[in-house]
Amino acid sequence: MITGKKMGAGLLSAALVIGVIGCGSSEDKETNTASKGTDTTSSSETSSSKTEKVKITYSMWGSAEEGSVTQAVADKFNASQDRIEVEVVSIPWETYMTKLNTQATGGQLPDTGMLKEDGVIQWSSEGMLNDVSAMYEGSDSKPLDSLAYKYQGKTVAYAAANEILLLYYNKDMFDKAGVAYPPSVLDQAWTWDEFVAAAKKLTVDKNGKHPDEEGFDANGIVQYGASVENLPWQLETWTLSNGGGFYSTDGTDVRIGEDASIEAIQKVADLYLKDHVAPLSVGQTDDGIQRTIIAGTVAMATNGAWNVGTSLNTAKEEGLNYGVAVLPYMKEKVTLNTGGANVVFSQTKHPKEAMEWLKWYNSEENNWGLISSGIWMPTLQKWYTDEALTRKWVENPNFPPYEEYKSAVVDYAQSSAARPASWFFTNYTTDFNTLLGSVLGDVWTGKTTAKDAITKNLDALKAAHTGNK
Amino acid sequence: METIHKPLKRRSRYNSSEARVAYICLIPAFLGLFFLTYAPLLGVLGISLTNWTGLKSPQFIGFDNYVQLFTTDPYIKDSIIATIYFAFLSVIGSMVYSFFIAMLLNRKIPARGLLRAIFYVPFVLPAAAIYVGWSWLYEANFGFFNFLLSQVGLNKVLFIADSSYVVPSLSLISVWLSGNLIVIFLAGLQNVPGVYHEAAEMDGAGAWKRFIHITLPSMSPIIFYNLLMSLIANLQVVTPALALTNGGPGNSSRFLTYLMYDQAFVNYKLGYACATTFVIFAILAAFTAVLFKTSSRWIYNEGGDDK
Amino acid sequence: MSAAAYGRLRSRKRNERMMNMATFVVVIFCAALVLFPIWWIFRTSLMTNAEIYRYPPSLTPDNWLFSNYEKTLQVFKFWKYLWNTMIIIVPACLAGTFTAALCGYAFARLRFRGKNLIWALCVGSMLLPAMVTLIPLYIGWTRYLGIHDSYLPLILPYFCGGGAFNIFLIRQFMMSIPRELDQAATIDGAGYFRILFSIIMPAIKPAMIVVALFIFIGLWNDLLQQMIYINSSDKYTIALGLTNFRGQLKSDWSLTMAATCLSFAPGVLFYLIGQRYFVEGITLTGMKG
Repeated sequence: MITGKKMGAGLLSAALVIGVIGCGSSEDKETNTASKGTDTTSSSETSSSKTEKVKITYSMWGSAEEGSVTQAVADKFNASQDRIEVEVVSIPWETYMTKLNTQATGGQLPDTGMLKEDGVIQWSSEGMLNDVSAMYEGSDSKPLDSLAYKYQGKTVAYAAANEILLLYYNKDMFDKAGVAYPPSVLDQAWTWDEFVAAAKKLTVDKNGKHPDEEGFDANGIVQYGASVENLPWQLETWTLSNGGGFYSTDGTDVRIGEDASIEAIQKVADLYLKDHVAPLSVGQTDDGIQRTIIAGTVAMATNGAWNVGTSLNTAKEEGLNYGVAVLPYMKEKVTLNTGGANVVFSQTKHPKEAMEWLKWYNSEENNWGLISSGIWMPTLQKWYTDEALTRKWVENPNFPPYEEYKSAVVDYAQSSAARPASWFFTNYTTDFNTLLGSVLGDVWTGKTTAKDAITKNLDALKAAHTGNK
Repeated sequence: METIHKPLKRRSRYNSSEARVAYICLIPAFLGLFFLTYAPLLGVLGISLTNWTGLKSPQFIGFDNYVQLFTTDPYIKDSIIATIYFAFLSVIGSMVYSFFIAMLLNRKIPARGLLRAIFYVPFVLPAAAIYVGWSWLYEANFGFFNFLLSQVGLNKVLFIADSSYVVPSLSLISVWLSGNLIVIFLAGLQNVPGVYHEAAEMDGAGAWKRFIHITLPSMSPIIFYNLLMSLIANLQVVTPALALTNGGPGNSSRFLTYLMYDQAFVNYKLGYACATTFVIFAILAAFTAVLFKTSSRWIYNEGGDDK
Repeated sequence: MSAAAYGRLRSRKRNERMMNMATFVVVIFCAALVLFPIWWIFRTSLMTNAEIYRYPPSLTPDNWLFSNYEKTLQVFKFWKYLWNTMIIIVPACLAGTFTAALCGYAFARLRFRGKNLIWALCVGSMLLPAMVTLIPLYIGWTRYLGIHDSYLPLILPYFCGGGAFNIFLIRQFMMSIPRELDQAATIDGAGYFRILFSIIMPAIKPAMIVVALFIFIGLWNDLLQQMIYINSSDKYTIALGLTNFRGQLKSDWSLTMAATCLSFAPGVLFYLIGQRYFVEGITLTGMKG
């Protein structure tokens, strides 16, 4: 039997040894990665006189795989010239902004990177971002105007991609019910009432009855006609469409208390409450399209353009017959466009190199994978105006038929209907949207009306908009 | 927590070599208490008096954060209510559930080891994944529970999409996860001296009377420990909000720790979040103090206590 | 025994047997209820995505697609994440258990000035949610100590007693060991440390295993701390990998659930192995006060 002392000493030394090995190996990994320039200050050292490559880091959200795909793209850039070398760091989406914020606190920010839409203006207002208006001087094409993030008149970021909101629909469900497809041409867009009427024809309960028919059982619905996402930032679309909005056009005043805005929100809620054409929006997941169009449980759904590439292309291969259309409208035709931002952090020591990299990276030829799969839409104007380029973008098996997509998405995105989401020009959109989401919580289940919810909390909403809760 | 009595210079009470050994043994604890607990606590207090957002240097603003928290914050009141409501349901639910199952498992039934393992298993599973799995069962339109309800002819319940049902729904998951309490209760039950039961039976006491007068009192120290652990854990609930509800619908599941997380890591209001942290700490301390104070009245202590 | 008494005894025994049977049925029913959500996750991992969204939902998959697990392993580096997680957990368990024993010993057996005060501070620290100290600790590690992307902030804290709960547990167990054993050893000339290592620690072995289990579970599930301290993807732990995986797959639920089921396995295994000690420990020494 081992004496207690030996056992104790053994345990202690074992623990220490393992601890040291643990520390050691992670330190080894640290020095290895440090030499590759991730997240450490060595990356921002200025180049020596011996034309050494300037090293800059670029952070993005995504998995390790997405990171290596981007690094492969960056390597093309690195090989194409000998002044700049780019290192790509990928961070999971859920923790991206937290990570970046803690890096900022520690002075460890990369030179450039992506930034979530609702953080851009706030970071700008704290002086963390560089002005990038010089990026496209002298180029043959600029990004669409609606894709520039502006703070105090200066452009502080361009969106890395374009995304707009569309109406998706399941063609097979429409054929079975004998209902005409929603229009893909902006001029023929449905009014809200036409939209609801079509949805009613596509909603059936377990006895085959439609809403408005005798004996319709709202508790026994087996198929729904429509689903409109009620995420706060997407609700802005409908308030604008009804003649109201979240904010005034310059972002200074809050307009959500206006009757038009409130009415719009109530109409969206009524799709479930009164019209019985929509399922209760559960809103917390990002698989809206899978739950509706792809599952065959809902015939129409509003969602972002990225779904073409994230889920619909696979579903299409598996036999889904889907279409894209423009959104219905209440009084004005509106869709929102948005896109995550690529920024240059003010902590960088190489602003010019950073901008050069971003401009190269943003140019569509260099991002072809994401664009041809349908996840990202291009940012530069020429892809929307030059037909040859548009065909190059759209004509591939991942997309719906060319004419349909061109009219419902390409033309839609550059029409006057496309408005930038409010985080392109207003600060504290996170605070506002979070508060709005919580204020409207009981509206969707009918426990309170949009009018009551918003009027009671209007002051709080206004306060959130100015950054004091 | 008695105060230290220092009798007049009777150093013989403290053997100096014993004390030395004790202090050496306690070095890890000292380090931990200082660096991991109390220094950060002071840090939190300090940060709560500033308006730090992590992006630029902090500025001292005194108690402004606290004032704002209690006057204009739109979330804090609902948050406190939601947290206490959840803790109340979960603690009582888990205690009753685990005690009940422990009583059942205490009998001579086959495969006890396996059954005990089954009840314990939820505790070792990764929490975030669990919540996602349950979310499908609870789904308002197409979920399994609603399917069952519709088969029986009842109306759909919106569970976690309904502000009145979300906390009970989450509490149910918490109770399901509390298998670790069962094992502790079971061990305690097996320690109740059999002689008491036999004596009482011979005196003609029925099962219920025996339960109230023998089982419960003997188990009271264990009940106390489980109650304390459960209360502390459940008042700090955050994972369901993080993984599932994001505080909704409305504010009905915006638990305090989730609120703090949101303020600190989503809105970067570090100073403000630290003020909320202090509120959490105060509530926890209050409940624990009440529990400890009332404990002497209902805990029956067999072995004597060295506190 | 009289005939009447014998009769009463027999009927009591019969009642008891019937009660046991009834109990058994109830327990089986409850166990099935408890297992149901786990079954739900498992069956989801074996379906295609289209099946998952079907309504009415099906209890069992149409085809048992174990191939989903193959697919998952190709993308989800399970073994690597497991290894990483173990690098954190093993030192933490060993260090935590050992230091908890040291500290518990001091509180349970030794007398010294300030004991009550220090004990009060210790108990007080149990009230601090980890969230509370998160921010200052993060700033301390990264800004003042300059440590980035490392496991140190996750492991080192366990060298400080493994947490007040564990010290509390060990203390309780130690207090239930008769002091006569100590006294016998002292008479034989053993010093305090000798007593601790040769007598006390072996006697509370089950409790130490319990502590190790608690540390394991605590670290296994501790997503937030892992999120903020670990940067590079080849250092991911299981919890981190799972979160990332979900985002990466953009709601390919069947694979996500398969990855989840894979992550269940180590925890369950650890419990099954340690179960014997765990229950033995609590049963033998009791949890009085």
